[in-house]
Amino acid sequence: MIPKGFLKFVVKRTVLLLISLVVAVYISILLANFGGLIDEMVKSDLLMSITMNVRNNPAFQGLTASEKQKIIDSMYQAALEARGLNTPFLIRSLYHLKNALTLDLGTALYLTSDSGSKQVRLIILERLPQTIMLFTSVTIINFFTTLLGGLLIARKYGSKIDRAISALAPTSVIPGWVYGIFLILIFYTWLHILPPGGMVDYPPPKDPVLYSLSVLKHMVLPMLSWIIAGLFLGLYSNRTFFLIFSTEDYVEVAKAKGLPPRQVDMGYVMRPTLPSIITGLSFAIIGSWGGAIITETVFDWPGLGMLLASALSYPDPPVIVGEVAIYAWLLTLTVLTLDIIYAFLDPRVKVWGG
Amino acid sequence: MIRKMIRQGLKNNIAVCAASILILLMLFQALAPAVTTISAPEEYTIYKYGWFDEVVFFRVTEAAKAVEMMEKGDMDIYFKDIGDPALFRRVRESPALSYDFSYGLYNELTFNPVGPTTLDGKFNPFYNPKIREAMNMLVDRQYIVDEIMGGLAIPKFVPVCNGFPDYKRHESVIKSIEANYAYNFDKAKQIIFEELAKEPDVEYKDGKWLYKGEPIVLKFIIRTEDTRRQIGDYVSTQLEKLGFTVDRQYKTSREASPIWMRGNPAEGRWHLYTGGWVTTVVSRDDSDNFQFFYSDKSGMASISPLWASYKPSPEFSELADKLAEKKFTTIEERTAWMSRAFELALKDSVRVWLVDQTAAWVKRKEINAVADYSGGYWVGIWAFTLNRGGTRGGSVKIGSSDVLTGDAWNPISGSNWIYDGMVSSATGMPAFLSDPKSGLPIPTGFVKSVTIEAVKGLLTFQNPESQNWLTLTFVDSVTIPSDAWYAWDVENKKVVTAGEAGVTSAKVKIVAEYEDIIGKIEYHDGTVMSLADWVWSWPINFERASDKSPLYDEAYVGSFQSWREVFKAWRIVSEHPLKIEWYTDYTNMDAELIASAYVGLAGPWHTTAIGVKAEEKGVLAFGQDKAMKKNVEWMNYIAGPSLEILSTTLDEAIAEGYIPFKELNSRYITVEEARARYNALKKWYTTYKHFWVGAGPYYLEVADVMAKTAVLKPFRKLLQRELVISVEGGGTTDPEPGTHEYLGRETVTITAKPGFLSILEKWVVDGVEKEASASITVTTDKPHTVRAVFRIWYEAIAGIVAVIVVIVIVAVLFLRKKKK
Repeated sequence: MIPKGFLKFVVKRTVLLLISLVVAVYISILLANFGGLIDEMVKSDLLMSITMNVRNNPAFQGLTASEKQKIIDSMYQAALEARGLNTPFLIRSLYHLKNALTLDLGTALYLTSDSGSKQVRLIILERLPQTIMLFTSVTIINFFTTLLGGLLIARKYGSKIDRAISALAPTSVIPGWVYGIFLILIFYTWLHILPPGGMVDYPPPKDPVLYSLSVLKHMVLPMLSWIIAGLFLGLYSNRTFFLIFSTEDYVEVAKAKGLPPRQVDMGYVMRPTLPSIITGLSFAIIGSWGGAIITETVFDWPGLGMLLASALSYPDPPVIVGEVAIYAWLLTLTVLTLDIIYAFLDPRVKVWGG
Repeated sequence: MIRKMIRQGLKNNIAVCAASILILLMLFQALAPAVTTISAPEEYTIYKYGWFDEVVFFRVTEAAKAVEMMEKGDMDIYFKDIGDPALFRRVRESPALSYDFSYGLYNELTFNPVGPTTLDGKFNPFYNPKIREAMNMLVDRQYIVDEIMGGLAIPKFVPVCNGFPDYKRHESVIKSIEANYAYNFDKAKQIIFEELAKEPDVEYKDGKWLYKGEPIVLKFIIRTEDTRRQIGDYVSTQLEKLGFTVDRQYKTSREASPIWMRGNPAEGRWHLYTGGWVTTVVSRDDSDNFQFFYSDKSGMASISPLWASYKPSPEFSELADKLAEKKFTTIEERTAWMSRAFELALKDSVRVWLVDQTAAWVKRKEINAVADYSGGYWVGIWAFTLNRGGTRGGSVKIGSSDVLTGDAWNPISGSNWIYDGMVSSATGMPAFLSDPKSGLPIPTGFVKSVTIEAVKGLLTFQNPESQNWLTLTFVDSVTIPSDAWYAWDVENKKVVTAGEAGVTSAKVKIVAEYEDIIGKIEYHDGTVMSLADWVWSWPINFERASDKSPLYDEAYVGSFQSWREVFKAWRIVSEHPLKIEWYTDYTNMDAELIASAYVGLAGPWHTTAIGVKAEEKGVLAFGQDKAMKKNVEWMNYIAGPSLEILSTTLDEAIAEGYIPFKELNSRYITVEEARARYNALKKWYTTYKHFWVGAGPYYLEVADVMAKTAVLKPFRKLLQRELVISVEGGGTTDPEPGTHEYLGRETVTITAKPGFLSILEKWVVDGVEKEASASITVTTDKPHTVRAVFRIWYEAIAGIVAVIVVIVIVAVLFLRKKKK
């Protein structure tokens, strides 16, 4: 039977997290819409776009100014109505909130999915696989490389490699896309062996296996740029993290007992740090789903980062809010799950009486 | 489209720093002097069935990367202009690359004309037209061209583009204006000082202009996305030299537009703005530019407080209105009005024009490409002209800053992005192309001739270029025949004739005589043009504009009304060859443009019909706004959730034998014909996974929307049909035995040529025996085999033998008789 205190804790955490979720999403709605100011921008954009379309359309070139204006007015009014811009922002913001919380993300103002849909849900879902394929893979590779590497280096504290990693750690302040540019220069401009960007060869191979291999080839440079960017700081952080834990009394006792180093690492260093590692991994994976705006732009990779960049530059609030809402939900559920797991498993977290 | 193009540029802002580093790292070459040379018009050859065996489009957002790829041979041509002077210098010096120029992007200074004070009590010197006029002389346009634009621009003084027809028509007036308003800092200063000195509470003290003791602050909104940033800084410096205090407010488009365009100028939140405009087509008539840019009568005034605040002089206002409404009756009158309007525009100067940008378009040297004067490489003519060294075959790789934008492709109201249009235009066959330099129509070979009868007094002219296909005559009146189609009755589902509607006259009659194309022109899916393709869609315009129809689209109503106001009626006069008449009140100074506005080529009815059926069911919508309003997908023929819906609809159409608007079209389409068309489309969809079918030089083979790449293949590959002629026995044929290749449907007459003492026994066509006849006709609607079977002509031999025998007998008898 589940203890009452535990249930109370879960309910309390859930309510608090849901309140945070609602507040965060509503703030993001207000921010994405500039508190309603975006309406004016969108109206200006629509007006200018429609006006220039009509003025530049060869079919309308022979019309008089008043004839052209009739067309512009009609198209403009229809565009406003289709986007709900004739409803006050405050009312629309509540609709947006309801939609975001129920993950009914509605339709985008300008953007379409690559396959032509205006459903925000589809726009985001369409980009997610590319982002997961690239950035989640890199995140997982980076996470485990730096985790295990950090553990090994922690064992060799003060060695040449330890000092080298410590010295190289500051290079991680350079963002991945800068490495990306250098990698393009080396592997495309100079060696001409890897593509400078894009997702697949042109023309795309018809055979699915060759197509997949082509995509993998295009992933090499962006992945490498992120791996290089995160490697040294990741190794240094994990090495420091494990060093702190490896000086705990119970580890010293285990060492004194003569246990093999591997057993000490796994049983006495890794095990107590597991909650932190799981937390770190969970957030890293969720974080990777946001993509990387500049890296995706440099490598012309069609992920969520480029989508967000487009949504911000248009601006297209429903898409921005959609991304935020999905991210907020994932974060909330992850935090709640981790809270429950820790409450249940970690003896240091005490949520019921006794 | 224009807004989207600009937005595309903004979208990449995030990459600017990345791109800058890349450019800096890549650019090792020494800087070269700036250029202003305009390339001479080149010769080009139009080919209708696709020069290349494969055309690959792909996205490369950064121009520097594109140049690098072209140098390495990974890209052949870049369908996006290059505006960066440093990058252009690299292109110019590259032995592998060549370039062309286009025009149509232009910059100006927009002034806030409200004043002398704004609502915040501050003084706005630009309320005074004389100060605005003097600004023309304060700005050194040549400095902007040379130092800021790196030579990729031409000074601009008037609201028409350099080199466009209206510039050329009024060149002498414009040149005189350019001389009068040439850079003259001292003169500008003198005028501005004189004008400010007249203002109460304004004083010049210690090198600063003050209003009520406070410095006059000019709030200058400077756009940051392009060279307008440097232009803004330069103009600010010039104004500061006069003693103004300039508040330089650097803003992006989205930050600036609510202030300058949508905001109330009376609030004084800004005084100057670095404006920029684009035209993507060679505009042949810019007479409405004065009202659009300078007048409170401009359509923009109803939505933009800035335009509403314009107060042109009564003379300028009246002239701008008359020009916009095309009230001139002779070309001389128009020229006089335009010339005066140019002068008044400079006197008004709510806009000071700065430069016409020259955009560079880059390709590899061995590629022949035509650059449109306004649109550069990516306008529709590329599909007919782009080739490698004048030879057919091979592959071409085309990069662009975007490909397959995601906006829907559909035949009624699909994407208007140039990034989609540059691909889709290659799949359609127009009746006319637009001349890249003059903007005049060039027939593609399907229209034999066009005759225009215009009522006397109508201001339209024929250009010398169209003498070989257009005849323009002026008549006292144009009478509409009573059987011509005037409208479609949406409720009663019937055609309304001009006679029924009581419409009897028009200003213009257009008669197009086509080649014999019905039953000859093929579409990509193998179906053949019929009369139905020309008539079936007549109801669509009316249905889309009527709220009683399931096809109603509110966004279309304005366009429909404008069309309805000028279009009167039409009728098909004959089917073989096709001859059509249109009756309209539409006019244009160029008679060729009246013709091209109506004379077209019909697309396949069945592809659009499934879209009509889907929209009637309410599961998809052709128009974006309607789709958003109805919360359904915007109908996309090449990708996305629409495909499955269209596929289902197609299956239903096959099952039902669906004939769209059957009240009209069952006269032109039988159920069997409809099913045959739909089945052809189904086969096409099964093969290519999309519904995009046309008759253009190329067909869409792959549309990989995620990878942002499209592959086109030449239509000739689908049209090429083999006719294999063989003979059996003694004889030959004309054409000779062998494999012959034909493009599309041709009628081939094969004549048998029996050898000595041989005779044609039979023809065997595709394995089926046919009676022997001197010749046989085959239509190359698919590959065919024809065998001419000859046999020895026994009858003739027997006859000859008989004759010989008779002769011998007679001879013998004769000799015997003689001996006796």
